[in-house]
Amino acid sequence: MADWEIWLVIVVLVAATAATRSSFWLIGHRVTLPPRVQEILRFAPPCALAGIVGPDLVLNLRGELDLNLSNPRLLAGVAALGFYLLRRNMLQTIVFGMLVFTLLRVLYVFAAAG
Amino acid sequence: MSVPRRGAGASQGGAADEHDPDAWREGIRAGLPTLFGIGAWGMVVGIAMVKTGLTVLQASGMTLLVFAGSAQLASLPLIAAHAPAWVIFATALVVNLRFVIFSALLAPHFAHLPWKQRFYLGYISGDMTVAMFLQRFPSPAPERGKLSYLKGLMYPNWVVWQAGSFAGIFLGSAVPSEWGLGFAGTLAILCILIPLIANSAALCGVLVSGVVAVLAYGLPYKLGLLVAVVAGMLTAMAAEECLVKRKRGHG
Repeated sequence: MADWEIWLVIVVLVAATAATRSSFWLIGHRVTLPPRVQEILRFAPPCALAGIVGPDLVLNLRGELDLNLSNPRLLAGVAALGFYLLRRNMLQTIVFGMLVFTLLRVLYVFAAAG
Repeated sequence: MSVPRRGAGASQGGAADEHDPDAWREGIRAGLPTLFGIGAWGMVVGIAMVKTGLTVLQASGMTLLVFAGSAQLASLPLIAAHAPAWVIFATALVVNLRFVIFSALLAPHFAHLPWKQRFYLGYISGDMTVAMFLQRFPSPAPERGKLSYLKGLMYPNWVVWQAGSFAGIFLGSAVPSEWGLGFAGTLAILCILIPLIANSAALCGVLVSGVVAVLAYGLPYKLGLLVAVVAGMLTAMAAEECLVKRKRGHG
Protein backbone atom coordinates (compact mmCIF):
# COMPACT_ATOMS: atom_id res chain seq x y z
CA MET A 1 0.00 0.00 0.00
CA ALA A 2 1.09 3.54 -0.71
CA ASP A 3 1.91 5.84 2.20
CA TRP A 4 -1.36 7.81 1.91
CA GLU A 5 -3.35 4.58 1.81
CA ILE A 6 -1.83 3.48 5.14
CA TRP A 7 -2.77 6.83 6.66
CA LEU A 8 -6.28 6.46 5.23
CA VAL A 9 -6.48 3.06 6.94
CA ILE A 10 -5.36 4.68 10.21
CA VAL A 11 -8.10 7.33 9.89
CA VAL A 12 -10.63 4.58 9.18
CA LEU A 13 -9.48 2.62 12.25
CA VAL A 14 -9.77 5.75 14.41
CA ALA A 15 -13.34 6.21 13.12
CA ALA A 16 -14.24 2.58 13.86
CA THR A 17 -12.76 2.82 17.35
CA ALA A 18 -14.39 6.14 18.18
CA ALA A 19 -17.74 4.93 16.87
CA THR A 20 -17.69 1.86 19.11
CA ARG A 21 -15.90 3.09 22.24
CA SER A 22 -17.25 6.61 22.59
CA SER A 23 -20.75 6.08 21.17
CA PHE A 24 -22.63 5.58 24.41
CA TRP A 25 -20.50 8.05 26.29
CA LEU A 26 -21.87 10.69 23.93
CA ILE A 27 -25.48 9.59 23.40
CA GLY A 28 -25.96 6.93 26.08
CA HIS A 29 -28.27 8.94 28.33
CA ARG A 30 -30.74 9.34 25.42
CA VAL A 31 -31.03 5.75 24.15
CA THR A 32 -31.10 2.28 25.67
CA LEU A 33 -30.13 -0.89 23.82
CA PRO A 34 -32.83 -3.57 23.80
CA PRO A 35 -31.60 -6.69 25.65
CA ARG A 36 -31.88 -8.76 22.46
CA VAL A 37 -29.46 -6.45 20.64
CA GLN A 38 -27.09 -6.54 23.61
CA GLU A 39 -27.11 -10.33 23.47
CA ILE A 40 -26.30 -10.36 19.77
CA LEU A 41 -23.51 -7.84 20.25
CA ARG A 42 -22.03 -9.97 23.00
CA PHE A 43 -21.35 -12.78 20.53
CA ALA A 44 -19.54 -10.56 18.02
CA PRO A 45 -16.16 -10.16 19.74
CA PRO A 46 -15.31 -13.85 20.32
CA CYS A 47 -16.49 -14.69 16.79
CA ALA A 48 -14.38 -11.90 15.29
CA LEU A 49 -11.28 -12.98 17.20
CA ALA A 50 -11.83 -16.63 16.20
CA GLY A 51 -12.08 -15.50 12.60
CA ILE A 52 -8.63 -13.95 12.90
CA VAL A 53 -6.97 -16.82 14.77
CA GLY A 54 -8.40 -19.67 12.65
CA PRO A 55 -6.62 -18.81 9.38
CA ASP A 56 -3.48 -17.81 11.30
CA LEU A 57 -3.17 -21.33 12.69
CA VAL A 58 -4.08 -23.61 9.78
CA LEU A 59 -3.10 -21.69 6.62
CA ASN A 60 0.48 -21.56 5.42
CA LEU A 61 2.13 -18.40 4.13
CA ARG A 62 0.72 -19.04 0.64
CA GLY A 63 -2.83 -19.20 2.00
CA GLU A 64 -3.17 -22.98 1.57
CA LEU A 65 -4.69 -25.27 4.20
CA ASP A 66 -1.95 -27.08 6.15
CA LEU A 67 -3.16 -29.49 8.83
CA ASN A 68 0.09 -31.48 8.95
CA LEU A 69 2.24 -31.92 12.03
CA SER A 70 4.93 -30.05 10.11
CA ASN A 71 2.89 -26.84 10.53
CA PRO A 72 4.60 -25.18 13.52
CA ARG A 73 1.84 -22.57 13.95
CA LEU A 74 -0.86 -25.20 14.38
CA LEU A 75 1.13 -27.26 16.90
CA ALA A 76 2.35 -24.24 18.86
CA GLY A 77 -1.15 -22.75 18.81
CA VAL A 78 -2.71 -25.92 20.24
CA ALA A 79 0.04 -26.13 22.88
CA ALA A 80 -0.51 -22.48 23.84
CA LEU A 81 -4.26 -23.04 24.04
CA GLY A 82 -3.72 -25.92 26.49
CA PHE A 83 -1.25 -23.86 28.48
CA TYR A 84 -3.65 -20.93 28.76
CA LEU A 85 -6.53 -23.16 29.85
CA LEU A 86 -4.31 -24.48 32.65
CA ARG A 87 -2.59 -21.29 33.77
CA ARG A 88 -4.91 -18.45 32.63
CA ASN A 89 -1.97 -16.11 32.18
CA MET A 90 -1.54 -14.21 28.92
CA LEU A 91 2.11 -13.24 29.26
CA GLN A 92 3.24 -16.76 30.20
CA THR A 93 1.14 -18.23 27.39
CA ILE A 94 2.71 -15.95 24.76
CA VAL A 95 6.22 -16.78 25.99
CA PHE A 96 5.45 -20.51 26.13
CA GLY A 97 3.78 -20.53 22.71
CA MET A 98 6.65 -18.62 21.12
CA LEU A 99 9.17 -21.03 22.66
CA VAL A 100 7.31 -24.05 21.24
CA PHE A 101 6.90 -22.29 17.90
CA THR A 102 10.58 -21.34 17.69
CA LEU A 103 11.74 -24.80 18.79
CA LEU A 104 9.59 -26.49 16.13
CA ARG A 105 10.70 -24.03 13.46
CA VAL A 106 14.38 -24.57 14.27
CA LEU A 107 13.88 -28.36 14.29
CA TYR A 108 12.29 -28.25 10.84
CA VAL A 109 15.05 -26.07 9.50
CA PHE A 110 17.60 -28.64 10.70
CA ALA A 111 15.51 -31.56 9.40
CA ALA A 112 15.21 -29.89 6.01
CA ALA A 113 18.95 -29.22 5.90
CA GLY A 114 19.93 -32.73 7.07
CA MET B 1 -11.40 -7.79 44.65
CA SER B 2 -13.31 -6.64 47.71
CA VAL B 3 -12.42 -3.07 48.49
CA PRO B 4 -14.36 -1.39 51.30
CA ARG B 5 -17.00 0.88 49.80
CA ARG B 6 -16.56 4.56 50.32
CA GLY B 7 -19.55 6.53 51.64
CA ALA B 8 -21.90 7.91 49.02
CA GLY B 9 -20.10 11.27 49.33
CA ALA B 10 -21.40 14.26 47.44
CA SER B 11 -24.63 13.59 45.59
CA GLN B 12 -23.88 16.26 43.00
CA GLY B 13 -21.64 15.46 40.03
CA GLY B 14 -19.37 18.48 40.41
CA ALA B 15 -18.08 17.71 43.89
CA ALA B 16 -17.82 13.98 43.19
CA ASP B 17 -15.52 14.66 40.24
CA GLU B 18 -12.88 16.58 42.18
CA HIS B 19 -9.51 14.90 42.14
CA ASP B 20 -9.36 12.33 44.92
CA PRO B 21 -5.77 11.19 45.51
CA ASP B 22 -6.84 8.10 47.47
CA ALA B 23 -9.14 6.87 44.72
CA TRP B 24 -6.51 7.67 42.08
CA ARG B 25 -3.89 5.59 43.90
CA GLU B 26 -6.41 2.84 44.50
CA GLY B 27 -7.10 2.73 40.75
CA ILE B 28 -3.40 2.50 39.97
CA ARG B 29 -2.93 -0.32 42.50
CA ALA B 30 -5.90 -2.23 41.10
CA GLY B 31 -4.60 -1.97 37.53
CA LEU B 32 -0.99 -2.80 38.35
CA PRO B 33 -1.17 -6.60 37.92
CA THR B 34 -2.68 -6.25 34.44
CA LEU B 35 0.03 -3.89 33.20
CA PHE B 36 2.52 -6.65 32.38
CA GLY B 37 0.04 -8.30 30.06
CA ILE B 38 -0.91 -4.93 28.54
CA GLY B 39 2.73 -4.08 27.86
CA ALA B 40 3.38 -7.46 26.27
CA TRP B 41 0.24 -7.21 24.16
CA GLY B 42 1.26 -3.70 23.03
CA MET B 43 4.69 -5.01 22.11
CA VAL B 44 3.21 -7.84 20.10
CA VAL B 45 1.04 -5.40 18.13
CA GLY B 46 4.05 -3.14 17.60
CA ILE B 47 6.08 -6.01 16.18
CA ALA B 48 3.20 -7.17 13.99
CA MET B 49 2.71 -3.69 12.52
CA VAL B 50 6.34 -3.40 11.49
CA LYS B 51 6.37 -6.99 10.16
CA THR B 52 3.38 -6.14 7.94
CA GLY B 53 5.54 -3.53 6.26
CA LEU B 54 4.46 -0.34 8.01
CA THR B 55 7.25 2.21 8.42
CA VAL B 56 8.26 3.25 11.94
CA LEU B 57 6.38 6.55 11.43
CA GLN B 58 3.21 4.83 10.19
CA ALA B 59 3.31 2.26 12.97
CA SER B 60 3.86 4.99 15.59
CA GLY B 61 0.96 6.98 14.16
CA MET B 62 -1.27 3.94 14.24
CA THR B 63 -0.48 3.03 17.84
CA LEU B 64 -0.86 6.61 19.13
CA LEU B 65 -4.05 7.41 17.22
CA VAL B 66 -5.93 4.12 17.11
CA PHE B 67 -5.06 2.53 20.48
CA ALA B 68 -7.11 -0.62 19.80
CA GLY B 69 -4.93 -3.74 19.71
CA SER B 70 -7.38 -6.27 18.35
CA ALA B 71 -8.67 -3.92 15.63
CA GLN B 72 -5.09 -3.07 14.67
CA LEU B 73 -4.13 -6.75 14.48
CA ALA B 74 -7.24 -7.52 12.43
CA SER B 75 -6.40 -4.75 9.98
CA LEU B 76 -2.82 -5.88 9.34
CA PRO B 77 -3.50 -8.91 7.10
CA LEU B 78 -6.02 -6.75 5.23
CA ILE B 79 -3.38 -4.06 4.69
CA ALA B 80 -0.94 -6.71 3.48
CA ALA B 81 -3.56 -7.98 1.00
CA HIS B 82 -4.43 -4.44 -0.23
CA ALA B 83 -8.04 -4.74 0.91
CA PRO B 84 -10.21 -1.66 0.25
CA ALA B 85 -10.64 0.83 3.10
CA TRP B 86 -14.35 0.09 3.58
CA VAL B 87 -13.60 -3.59 4.24
CA ILE B 88 -10.99 -2.59 6.81
CA PHE B 89 -13.49 -0.19 8.39
CA ALA B 90 -16.23 -2.83 8.55
CA THR B 91 -13.83 -5.44 9.95
CA ALA B 92 -12.49 -3.08 12.64
CA LEU B 93 -16.06 -2.13 13.53
CA VAL B 94 -17.01 -5.78 14.05
CA VAL B 95 -13.89 -6.55 16.08
CA ASN B 96 -14.64 -3.47 18.21
CA LEU B 97 -18.32 -4.28 18.78
CA ARG B 98 -17.56 -5.40 22.33
CA PHE B 99 -16.72 -1.79 23.15
CA VAL B 100 -20.29 -0.76 22.35
CA ILE B 101 -21.40 -2.95 25.24
CA PHE B 102 -18.61 -1.62 27.44
CA SER B 103 -19.47 1.97 26.64
CA ALA B 104 -23.15 1.30 27.34
CA LEU B 105 -22.14 -0.08 30.76
CA LEU B 106 -19.66 2.63 31.71
CA ALA B 107 -21.19 5.79 30.22
CA PRO B 108 -24.09 6.19 32.72
CA HIS B 109 -21.51 6.71 35.48
CA PHE B 110 -20.20 9.83 33.79
CA ALA B 111 -23.17 11.19 31.83
CA HIS B 112 -22.86 14.56 33.61
CA LEU B 113 -19.35 15.37 32.30
CA PRO B 114 -18.75 17.72 29.34
CA TRP B 115 -18.94 15.90 25.99
CA LYS B 116 -15.29 16.36 25.07
CA GLN B 117 -14.21 14.68 28.29
CA ARG B 118 -16.74 11.88 27.78
CA PHE B 119 -15.42 11.39 24.26
CA TYR B 120 -11.80 10.95 25.29
CA LEU B 121 -12.57 8.91 28.39
CA GLY B 122 -14.55 6.55 26.16
CA TYR B 123 -11.84 6.50 23.54
CA ILE B 124 -9.10 5.33 25.91
CA SER B 125 -11.18 2.82 27.89
CA GLY B 126 -9.86 -0.66 27.15
CA ASP B 127 -11.19 -4.11 28.04
CA MET B 128 -9.44 -4.31 31.42
CA THR B 129 -10.40 -0.78 32.49
CA VAL B 130 -14.11 -1.41 32.05
CA ALA B 131 -14.09 -4.78 33.81
CA MET B 132 -12.15 -3.51 36.83
CA PHE B 133 -14.07 -0.26 37.16
CA LEU B 134 -17.41 -2.06 37.23
CA GLN B 135 -16.11 -4.45 39.88
CA ARG B 136 -15.31 -1.50 42.12
CA PHE B 137 -18.33 0.68 41.28
CA PRO B 138 -21.27 -1.50 40.21
CA SER B 139 -23.86 1.28 40.63
CA PRO B 140 -23.98 4.28 38.25
CA ALA B 141 -25.03 6.62 41.09
CA PRO B 142 -22.61 9.56 41.56
CA GLU B 143 -19.93 8.71 44.09
CA ARG B 144 -16.86 10.52 45.31
CA GLY B 145 -13.60 9.39 43.70
CA LYS B 146 -15.15 7.57 40.74
CA LEU B 147 -13.49 9.72 38.13
CA SER B 148 -10.12 9.62 39.88
CA TYR B 149 -10.32 5.83 40.20
CA LEU B 150 -11.15 5.51 36.50
CA LYS B 151 -8.19 7.71 35.58
CA GLY B 152 -5.95 5.71 37.91
CA LEU B 153 -6.88 2.63 35.91
CA MET B 154 -6.78 4.27 32.48
CA TYR B 155 -3.72 6.45 32.36
CA PRO B 156 -1.11 3.83 33.38
CA ASN B 157 -2.86 1.41 31.02
CA TRP B 158 -2.45 3.88 28.14
CA VAL B 159 1.18 4.71 28.97
CA VAL B 160 2.26 1.07 29.37
CA TRP B 161 0.46 0.05 26.18
CA GLN B 162 2.19 2.81 24.19
CA ALA B 163 5.60 1.99 25.73
CA GLY B 164 5.10 -1.68 24.83
CA SER B 165 4.04 -0.76 21.30
CA PHE B 166 7.06 1.44 20.70
CA ALA B 167 9.37 -1.25 22.12
CA GLY B 168 7.73 -3.65 19.65
CA ILE B 169 8.04 -1.23 16.73
CA PHE B 170 11.78 -0.86 17.27
CA LEU B 171 12.35 -4.50 18.19
CA GLY B 172 10.35 -5.56 15.15
CA SER B 173 12.55 -3.53 12.82
CA ALA B 174 15.68 -5.09 14.36
CA VAL B 175 14.61 -8.75 14.35
CA PRO B 176 14.52 -10.71 11.06
CA SER B 177 11.11 -11.80 9.74
CA GLU B 178 12.10 -15.48 9.78
CA TRP B 179 11.88 -15.49 13.58
CA GLY B 180 8.11 -15.28 13.16
CA LEU B 181 7.60 -12.81 16.01
CA GLY B 182 4.28 -11.84 14.45
CA PHE B 183 2.94 -15.18 15.67
CA ALA B 184 2.93 -13.72 19.17
CA GLY B 185 -0.02 -11.62 17.98
CA THR B 186 -1.99 -14.76 17.16
CA LEU B 187 -1.21 -16.16 20.61
CA ALA B 188 -2.27 -12.92 22.29
CA ILE B 189 -5.63 -12.97 20.47
CA LEU B 190 -6.08 -16.57 21.57
CA CYS B 191 -5.66 -15.46 25.21
CA ILE B 192 -8.21 -12.65 24.82
CA LEU B 193 -10.62 -14.91 22.96
CA ILE B 194 -10.94 -17.70 25.53
CA PRO B 195 -12.36 -15.65 28.45
CA LEU B 196 -14.90 -14.15 26.01
CA ILE B 197 -16.42 -17.59 25.38
CA ALA B 198 -19.04 -17.21 28.09
CA ASN B 199 -21.21 -20.26 27.34
CA SER B 200 -21.66 -23.18 24.96
CA ALA B 201 -23.63 -21.03 22.52
CA ALA B 202 -20.66 -18.71 22.21
CA LEU B 203 -18.38 -21.73 21.78
CA CYS B 204 -20.51 -22.95 18.83
CA GLY B 205 -20.27 -19.50 17.27
CA VAL B 206 -16.51 -19.35 17.78
CA LEU B 207 -15.92 -22.76 16.18
CA VAL B 208 -18.11 -21.95 13.18
CA SER B 209 -16.50 -18.53 12.76
CA GLY B 210 -13.00 -20.05 12.84
CA VAL B 211 -13.85 -22.70 10.24
CA VAL B 212 -15.72 -20.29 7.96
CA ALA B 213 -12.83 -17.82 8.13
CA VAL B 214 -10.50 -20.54 6.83
CA LEU B 215 -12.91 -21.67 4.10
CA ALA B 216 -13.72 -18.10 3.02
CA TYR B 217 -10.10 -16.96 3.14
CA GLY B 218 -9.90 -16.61 -0.64
CA LEU B 219 -12.95 -14.36 -0.98
CA PRO B 220 -12.41 -11.11 -2.91
CA TYR B 221 -11.84 -7.87 -0.96
CA LYS B 222 -10.78 -10.01 2.04
CA LEU B 223 -14.43 -10.30 3.05
CA GLY B 224 -13.77 -13.71 4.62
CA LEU B 225 -13.48 -12.41 8.16
CA LEU B 226 -16.76 -10.48 7.98
CA VAL B 227 -18.59 -13.48 6.51
CA ALA B 228 -17.12 -15.66 9.27
CA VAL B 229 -18.24 -13.29 12.04
CA VAL B 230 -21.79 -13.10 10.70
CA ALA B 231 -21.94 -16.90 10.36
CA GLY B 232 -20.55 -17.31 13.88
CA MET B 233 -23.03 -14.85 15.42
CA LEU B 234 -26.01 -16.48 13.68
CA THR B 235 -24.82 -19.89 14.89
CA ALA B 236 -24.38 -18.64 18.45
CA MET B 237 -27.89 -17.15 18.47
CA ALA B 238 -29.44 -20.31 17.03
CA ALA B 239 -27.53 -22.43 19.55
CA GLU B 240 -28.70 -20.27 22.41
CA GLU B 241 -32.31 -20.55 21.33
CA CYS B 242 -31.96 -24.36 21.11
CA LEU B 243 -30.44 -24.50 24.59
CA VAL B 244 -33.18 -22.31 26.08
CA LYS B 245 -35.86 -24.49 24.48
CA ARG B 246 -34.26 -27.69 25.72
CA LYS B 247 -34.01 -26.30 29.25
CA ARG B 248 -37.71 -25.42 29.14
CA GLY B 249 -38.52 -28.89 27.74
CA HIS B 250 -36.82 -30.55 30.69
CA GLY B 251 -38.67 -28.24 33.08
